[in-house]
Amino acid sequence: MGSAVSFLGYFSVAVFIFMVMYRFTKFNSMPLHLRWELYPLPLEPKHHYGGSFMEELDYVSKPRHHIRINGILDMASEVFLLKKVKEYNRYGMWPFSFAMHWGIYLVCLWVLLLLVEVIFDWGAIYSVTNVVGTVAVFIGAFGSLGLLLKRIGNDEIKAYTAPVDYFNLLFMLAIFGAGIIGLFTGQPFQSFFVDARTSIAGAVSFQPTAVPFWTALHFLLFELFLLYMPFSRLFHYVAKYFTFDKIYWDDILNVKGSSIDKKITSQLSYKLTWAGPHIVPGKTWAEEVEIADAREGKEEYPFTGFPDTLLKKS
Amino acid sequence: MGPSNKKRVGFKDISRPGDEPLVSMDVKDLMAVPYLEDEPPMQPTPQRFIEKYEMSLDGHCSIGIPKPKTKEEEDFFVRRFLSGLQKLLNSEDSWTFQQVLRLSMDYCVKCQTCSDACHSYLASGRQEIYRPTYRSEILRRIWKKYFTPEGKLLGSFVGADVDVNWRTVTRLAEAGHRCTLCRRCAQRCPMGVDNAIIARELRKLFSQELGIAPMEILEKGCVQHIRVGSSTGMSPSGLKEAVEFMEEDIGDRIGKSVKIPVDKKGADILLIHNAGEFLSWPENPEAFAILFEAAGISWTLSSEPVAYDAVNYGLWNDDVELARVAVRHTQVAKKLGVKKVVIGECGHATKAYVVIADRVLTGDLSTSEIPRESCLPLLWEIIRSGAIKFDPSRNNFPVTLHDPCNMVRAMGIVQPQRLALKAIAPQFREMTPNGVYNYCCGGGSGYAIIQSYNFPQWRNKVGARMKMKQTLEAFKNELDPNRYPFKYLCAPCSNCKGTIRDAITHYNLWERYKINYGGLVELMVNAMVDIDRPFIEYDDFH
Repeated sequence: MGSAVSFLGYFSVAVFIFMVMYRFTKFNSMPLHLRWELYPLPLEPKHHYGGSFMEELDYVSKPRHHIRINGILDMASEVFLLKKVKEYNRYGMWPFSFAMHWGIYLVCLWVLLLLVEVIFDWGAIYSVTNVVGTVAVFIGAFGSLGLLLKRIGNDEIKAYTAPVDYFNLLFMLAIFGAGIIGLFTGQPFQSFFVDARTSIAGAVSFQPTAVPFWTALHFLLFELFLLYMPFSRLFHYVAKYFTFDKIYWDDILNVKGSSIDKKITSQLSYKLTWAGPHIVPGKTWAEEVEIADAREGKEEYPFTGFPDTLLKKS
Repeated sequence: MGPSNKKRVGFKDISRPGDEPLVSMDVKDLMAVPYLEDEPPMQPTPQRFIEKYEMSLDGHCSIGIPKPKTKEEEDFFVRRFLSGLQKLLNSEDSWTFQQVLRLSMDYCVKCQTCSDACHSYLASGRQEIYRPTYRSEILRRIWKKYFTPEGKLLGSFVGADVDVNWRTVTRLAEAGHRCTLCRRCAQRCPMGVDNAIIARELRKLFSQELGIAPMEILEKGCVQHIRVGSSTGMSPSGLKEAVEFMEEDIGDRIGKSVKIPVDKKGADILLIHNAGEFLSWPENPEAFAILFEAAGISWTLSSEPVAYDAVNYGLWNDDVELARVAVRHTQVAKKLGVKKVVIGECGHATKAYVVIADRVLTGDLSTSEIPRESCLPLLWEIIRSGAIKFDPSRNNFPVTLHDPCNMVRAMGIVQPQRLALKAIAPQFREMTPNGVYNYCCGGGSGYAIIQSYNFPQWRNKVGARMKMKQTLEAFKNELDPNRYPFKYLCAPCSNCKGTIRDAITHYNLWERYKINYGGLVELMVNAMVDIDRPFIEYDDFH
């Protein structure tokens, strides 16, 4: 199992990085959407009360600026504190969600610290690494188990939970659980750390070494998790950048000749295939806009009976 | 606590056969509203509607979709719905919101953090079908089942388990019209998922692929707007008559003559009102005319078709109609040679034209060439600059403010209306919550104008319930009509006013508590030192 863990490690990290880049590019290459900002908008200087540049007379001709640091702080408060869940979730999910997320962050940090230790032969952080690893598996297990029980035990949450959601939580619980069992295997709170370093060192030197079952399982599951995550809803951390920064916080005005203007002009040349009676399929958006009423001379569909006209069209 | 008769409604129920609604509500199930001990009961769904139309979501109906009579008709609904759903996530057919929708469809973690943000969900006594995630989750499950490899391969394991039959389609069409698109739930989502855009795009599917939408929004709304000139049916000659009436009425009201400029080339500002104001609340455009003349502003109305009506109902369900209206508005502004366009007190029209149309209008019609603004900053500037003298003591009655979602949560225009009210209304108080965290009036996304079938009952009982609760709480110390014979709910938005008018009437708040409503400009003119009589008619509720 040692060699499988080592080589899968490289593979999973490579796939993970590739998928992050692929997904990011895919989201980013979607057409430019219409403005859909939402206030309070953290980048706005008037963010403290939810205000915007549109409160100003002649705002189009006035200079504007964004406070990027506010956006970073707002995003950080969501990523690290799960601020909105804490403030608004009435089902008591925050403590568990917070713990689970930090379990994942700390497991990642733990692996990074182990790599730093091994690659740079930096024993000075040995204790820190051990504490991070220990905290990670305990709070991660607490969080994922708590969320699992919440989803099973609360009818309102349960109704919205698909089997795959239980699978995701069980998957994470298994990663953390294997770590906890590993901690208590051999010399409690000692052997696991030694074995973990052995495992990482073997992977780094391309000389895989066999390690006890639970330690190997912990790393194997973590690697499988890296492989699985980009294909699941757990990938929301990348999506979040777009939903906030590229949608809710995108308040950039269209200026004649600007890159936005060019993009929109290009998108107006897309052709529509919508079949509604007021639309002429096959026309571009720009052509469609000039049409006053696509139904001139056609039978109308005024909801007085079933839409026979549409039925014939379909 | 949930409603007493609540039985768990699941996602698969959306497809169940039969006319029995998924929920049936009684007043006792709804959120309690203080100071309303004897509100009118819920009227049962009329049998004639049940026989003819789709009423099986909640016994109410906004569209009036006729039931299919043949298998061919049933299949038509299913086929068109699925083809429309595919187009919603297609770059060319739906570039306008593809990214926004796609992310919201794919990354909801179902934590339900958004649920209690929704005024309709709370007002209904937390009926499941009004939870912000309910309709989104159904659409998501259908999408997965019919269009994704994981859904086809893994089925219910990944939640791809809602079948589409004609009942699913017609119930979903109605379900799309139980969200006012206020986006309060989006503010709370830790993922940035927006259930309002899912509801909006669901409506778009019906409008753009099946031609199905509430009659007042598409047929008598956008289509009539472009065909006749205004969604109200008002023709250019009707506009001229309205202007003549308003000029006469201004003379009667303030004892002074004010000329309303129409089609004045080279004016600084083209002012576009929601044309509903001319018919329902002419005192509002009259007040604009009085203020602009007194402040020495160079402005004009347009008598060109489409351009004398600011509404753009495509905002709620149809990108094509949205673009058609926005382009026509701007072409007229360009022709008149104005420096900018200002939209009157109408929230959806302001957002549609200032924000959403920003990326529809390109080249010579772009924002940099024809700037577009809300009227609220200009109104505050009139007060702040001292261009007109105001006497706040003329508005010495309790006033509270409703924040139109489209101008506040969606545009960040929060302070100008507050600063104005603080300057001219000594008894102004906020309702709770307010500003960007306000609750919708209950008439957002077109509900204000939907008067067909029994939809007004849903709007009054569920949609507007939270706003009436907030209003009563804001005036709780002055409810006594004898001691406080006039209270004013300021709502600087036509659709909000329409909803509030109907809700106040439904709950009898004018007769019982003397709570009236209106815009901001009426209060401003009422406080003008140069006018020797009240502009507001204290005994009139309309």
